[in-house]
Amino acid sequence: MSTAKIIFNKVNKLLEWFLIVIFALLVLDVLFQVFSRYFLGTSFTWTEEFARFSLIWMTILGAAYLNAKREHLSMDFLYQKFSTANKRRVSILIEVFIFLFALVVMVIGGLNLVYTTLHLEQLSGTLRIPLGYVYAIMPFSGLLIMCFSIYHISNIYSSKTNN
Amino acid sequence: KKEDGAKVLYLGHSLPQSHPVHKGILEFQKALENKSGGTLKVKIFPDGQLGSEREVLELLQIGSVAATKVSAATLSNFVPEYHILGIPYLFRDKNHRFEILEGAIGKSILEKGSKFWLRGLCYYDAGSRSFYTSSKPIRTPDDLRGLKIRVMNNQMAINMVNAMGGSATPLAYGELYTAIQQGVVDGAENNPPSFVTSNHYEISKYYTLDQHSAVPDVLLIGTKFWDKLSDKEKIWVQQAADESAQAQKKFWSDSVDESMRIAKEAGVEIIIPDKSLFAKKSKSVLEEFVNKYPDMETIVNQIKNE
Amino acid sequence: MSIEVISIIVLFVSFFGLLLLKVPVAYSIGISTTLSLLLNIDKMPGITTIAQRMTTGIDSFALLAIPFFILAGEIMKRGGIANRLINFAKSLVASLPGGLAYVNVLASMLFGAISGSALAAASAIGSIMTDRMEEEGYPRTLSASVNITASTTGLLIPPSNILIVYALASGGTASVAALFIAGYLPGILLGLAIMGYVAFIAINKNYAKGKRATLSEIWTYFRKAIFSLLLLVIVVGGIVAGIFTATEASVIAVLYAALLALAYGEMKRKDIPSILLSSAKTTAVVMFLICTSMAMSWLFSFEGIPEMISSFLLESLHNKFVIFFAINIILLIIGTFMDMTPAVLIFTPIFLPVVTALGMDPVHFGIVIVLNLCIGVCTPPVGTLLFVGSGVAKVSVTQVIKPLLPFLLIMIAVLMLISYIPEISMFLPRLFGL
Ligand code: NA
Ligand code: NA
Repeated sequence: MSTAKIIFNKVNKLLEWFLIVIFALLVLDVLFQVFSRYFLGTSFTWTEEFARFSLIWMTILGAAYLNAKREHLSMDFLYQKFSTANKRRVSILIEVFIFLFALVVMVIGGLNLVYTTLHLEQLSGTLRIPLGYVYAIMPFSGLLIMCFSIYHISNIYSSKTNN
Repeated sequence: KKEDGAKVLYLGHSLPQSHPVHKGILEFQKALENKSGGTLKVKIFPDGQLGSEREVLELLQIGSVAATKVSAATLSNFVPEYHILGIPYLFRDKNHRFEILEGAIGKSILEKGSKFWLRGLCYYDAGSRSFYTSSKPIRTPDDLRGLKIRVMNNQMAINMVNAMGGSATPLAYGELYTAIQQGVVDGAENNPPSFVTSNHYEISKYYTLDQHSAVPDVLLIGTKFWDKLSDKEKIWVQQAADESAQAQKKFWSDSVDESMRIAKEAGVEIIIPDKSLFAKKSKSVLEEFVNKYPDMETIVNQIKNE
Repeated sequence: MSIEVISIIVLFVSFFGLLLLKVPVAYSIGISTTLSLLLNIDKMPGITTIAQRMTTGIDSFALLAIPFFILAGEIMKRGGIANRLINFAKSLVASLPGGLAYVNVLASMLFGAISGSALAAASAIGSIMTDRMEEEGYPRTLSASVNITASTTGLLIPPSNILIVYALASGGTASVAALFIAGYLPGILLGLAIMGYVAFIAINKNYAKGKRATLSEIWTYFRKAIFSLLLLVIVVGGIVAGIFTATEASVIAVLYAALLALAYGEMKRKDIPSILLSSAKTTAVVMFLICTSMAMSWLFSFEGIPEMISSFLLESLHNKFVIFFAINIILLIIGTFMDMTPAVLIFTPIFLPVVTALGMDPVHFGIVIVLNLCIGVCTPPVGTLLFVGSGVAKVSVTQVIKPLLPFLLIMIAVLMLISYIPEISMFLPRLFGL
């Protein structure tokens, strides 16, 4: 197995555990919110914010994981009709588009968003954590997606030479 | 953004078009177009079309939206000085409030925002907030005991309700109608126009005018947009804002009268409690605030002594 | 040409181009939105705004119900709950002509009544039913068509993730609780209409009838399914009685389904991580689509598209019924190429002001738009349910299209009924005072 493939698998395993842990925390957090209101008679004000921020993290990180697995929803009506060579070209083109979106919007736009909110010291309503930390998942996932795209492109190339 | 040579100011806010504050913003639009001879235009996006208050504030900082109107409560997470305006029973009465907001203290708070790329232009009257409940009337603070009261997702509002003996429950505004109706919460707190435009008066039998806080609305412009204006244009914008604030006071008081009439006709019992009891209970909120932001104590004292 | 028109053309051309190239739908939406917005505002504010809309677009407590209902559905699928519902449904309707096809419809409705996602229903019921139906002579493509269209009933019958998305898109003018109750009758009506067509085919082709179950057999299967069915009472009853909000109900559904599946012994504690992971994946597919759709929806508002379309509709078409009809046709077309979630998020803010101006209740419109787009998720080129349903039935999408067509016509007929008879949707919410 190539080093790239070993790293790729390791990163995926790590991502899987991240997603599992965030989801489990999300379930426990909202269960705790319901039970505290009914059985303890109090509302902890941080549970709602924690849940919302976890959902953002789970979604954006999950999107990166889906890129690794190439399991985003797409339509292949035209694609099916392409020849093998064209399929390979289009697959590379798709990865290039994804790479550019991740670079421009998620990494550059995301970093500017993180920078602006951290620099201007915006805090969340109840947890009082800087919003920039919440947004940081955007450039982070964007970077992962860029790496995955490069990995997929190199795989498509090497499969061509092997054939 | 430019259109036919005119500069267009994109302004987003989350209120419906029937709201008296929206009417104030329309005055701003009219005054600015008049003063500038049509070279400065305002395009208004009501109903939260461009995002929630917090999100649009961020867009001002990012630079894609020029101006907005938000509650000072939302603003306090960006510019800490606005926390002061949320302190319960900060103002003695309406006149005291207008004197402070339109005087030096109010102006200095508006200017504090520039450091955070959010320049305050003027305050809009948002009246004072009071409790409303569905099944149990609140006549004294003791009646609040054990009641789940919906508050904004804001630490001071949470502290206040808890200090008075209630159980503060932050909940999204959109979920509130059904939450009251089905008893997920026992009540909420807001000013009369919002109490009526949200239709909460249909399902809340009691409105207790304890007037615990008077958080104003604020009209803001992003410094990214402001800095690109010429000196003359800056003066026009500020003048238009000041004029609209004066006009909006009348819209607000008309709307309060109208709202109270609608609520009464719908059979809501209006309770006029002894406000000093509530004020006494909420003193700890101020103490906690001063401990957390010691440098703001002088401003609070100035307001109280004026 | 004005810059607005150019940027709209850029938006649509790039969106369709990317979609046809098999670029993932979420990215096609995101990239075309970025290109279009950058024609209007400076580069840095433009891309930062899109990054911000993508994150804040899902910053909502109400949306949390989506991962939870997906998780609950996954647990029910793997924990033996789906199987118990099928057996119960079989004891009720298998003896009618076209018996097993009815079982498929009824089981989808029952599964839909306890889970929030139609994909879970389609894959859970479809993977079990297709083989059984084939044994009794049903072509796999027909089973797939029944399964695909019948699972849309779960999008109307509460709990329903798409109705939660609609409540969000309506800006709070329609409450989740009211939408949930409003979905019952249209969902059941749709199920009955599909059953009606199934009966027609079954009698024509003379498909086998099952053995009539005795009352005691029905009772046995009911007893085995009762704890699964109780979930319905807990979730929907809990919301309507005000014990908890829709989001909280969804997490209760997770807890209950997990306890039940552990008690049945068909789910082990060690299965939990893999169930969480596959639910997280499904969640990310749906939620990432929401992220980029929210950016596109914001772009539309920023361009003033909602006002443009609503003033066009209101000024050029004077008749209320014609306008409803026009909106339905537009939505049917949108539904063919756009997934349900982005379509609801992008087009609700455009059409809702028009229909409410004409006196339609936001709750009623929610049911109409969701039912309309239910047809879209069953059609090519972009049809999530079509893909999943054909996938679990192990048939190709193109093979399913022909047998599917009459089912789609049935759905359109039901859509017309629901559109023009508001009482079907509004009777129950009014009864409960929601
Ligand atoms: Na359902
Ligand atoms: Na479709």
